[in-house]
Amino acid sequence: MRFSRTLSALLFLASIGLIVFDRPDVRPQVFSVFRATVVDLASPMLALAGDPLRRIRNVGPYFRNQAALADENARLRQELNEARYWRDLAFRLRDQVEVYEEALNLDAPVARERVGAWVIADPQGPFVRSRLIGAGENRGVQAGHPVLNVYGLVGRVVETGRRSSRVLLLTDLNSRVPVMADRSNARAVLAGDNTPFPVMEYIGREADLIDGDRIVTSGDDGVLPRGLPVGQAIRDRHGRWRVQLFSDLAPVDFVWVFPYERVPPPEQDRDALTFEPLRLESPAPVVQAEPAPQPQSVVEEDEEES
Amino acid sequence: MRTPIDRRPPYWTIALSVFVTLAALIFHATPARITGGPDLMPLLPLMSIFLWASLRPRFMPPIAIFAIGVAQDVLTGGPMGVWALAYLTAMAILRDRKEDSPVREVLPLWLRFSGVLAISVVVAWVVGSLAVGALAPVRSLLIEAVSTALMFPLVAMLVLRGRAPRTGIL
Repeated sequence: MRFSRTLSALLFLASIGLIVFDRPDVRPQVFSVFRATVVDLASPMLALAGDPLRRIRNVGPYFRNQAALADENARLRQELNEARYWRDLAFRLRDQVEVYEEALNLDAPVARERVGAWVIADPQGPFVRSRLIGAGENRGVQAGHPVLNVYGLVGRVVETGRRSSRVLLLTDLNSRVPVMADRSNARAVLAGDNTPFPVMEYIGREADLIDGDRIVTSGDDGVLPRGLPVGQAIRDRHGRWRVQLFSDLAPVDFVWVFPYERVPPPEQDRDALTFEPLRLESPAPVVQAEPAPQPQSVVEEDEEES
Repeated sequence: MRTPIDRRPPYWTIALSVFVTLAALIFHATPARITGGPDLMPLLPLMSIFLWASLRPRFMPPIAIFAIGVAQDVLTGGPMGVWALAYLTAMAILRDRKEDSPVREVLPLWLRFSGVLAISVVVAWVVGSLAVGALAPVRSLLIEAVSTALMFPLVAMLVLRGRAPRTGIL
């Protein structure tokens, strides 16, 4: 069976054209809309296909972990007791913060309800580490919103459709998140490199980091809020600091999207910062300086004398 | 005997083949890792494209291969055109062999599929790395390719068995 060579050549050219123009940094709006529409159309089928897997996901661990249940139960009870202490502390601190905010007349942004969503697709491609979740613009999800699972930050939303969104994972090559050590506030940028342990960059030579430091978002870029749990600092065999992600402690199947209003950079408020020219209601009297006497040249005086 | 109506472009069968391949693509994208299972998911769309193109070449035209490749790119979140170009290249090389009748035995099919798979993966890796601007990890792509090659005979046997002429008394 032979097909038109012209059509095949055109399709090759179309593929190359798509590759050239569909890069994240220069992606035209029409491509973004097309991608979001395709994912939206596929999302019900993806949810349907993933449902049986979701139902049987605990079957394996159930049989594997029967022997360890008693130990796990004891450990969970201990953790629950500790968690009660931290909950009470959190309530007290929240009350204090409210009082301080009121005293200082701070206009803190109101925290909006988090949006829960199932992961409907786990597309395994070598080029992008992402997940598709079953919540989109219809539930207030927007690009840039942080996404967390039970244990910590998973990534952030990069594309939104009407019913679905794509989450770029922290491990992706294009992921950059400003973070800090909870203990010392040592700053870094968490950069994905397609390995399970993203690397910490721009930390300086004398960074105050130790193995096991709890790493949280620093909020320095204004894109993500401060204090979201990310992971633990570890050193690799080359001496570089990496982060063992908290979110990897459990399968990323159900996530929460936190609608966070990005802090606008000053450039966007430039219009608001333009100043009207200063106008005084009663203009100050202007002192008219008398004209300075013109010096008479010696030549003129000589002519008059003569 | 073949009637003129048989020579019409089989649009609905093309649609069927594309639908089957898209179903394979959907299954490929399902969140298998949430079960705690291994990070292995064969390239089911390529298997479907290859089997349709080998056994019923009319039902898998280049435009369908292009559409499936773009759909895979969109669902995996990668730059559009990478898998489309990889599949188009591999299938163009396969179709350029000018053979009279399609192969209907598992072993030759497997060998050809391995070649198509290798071409697709290499093209996807090179083009994808260029598009992303960094070398894509080879390991995950290799795992995907090996798992696909190992799974193919099973799928091929099922498909060929379903297509075998019924023999015997019943």
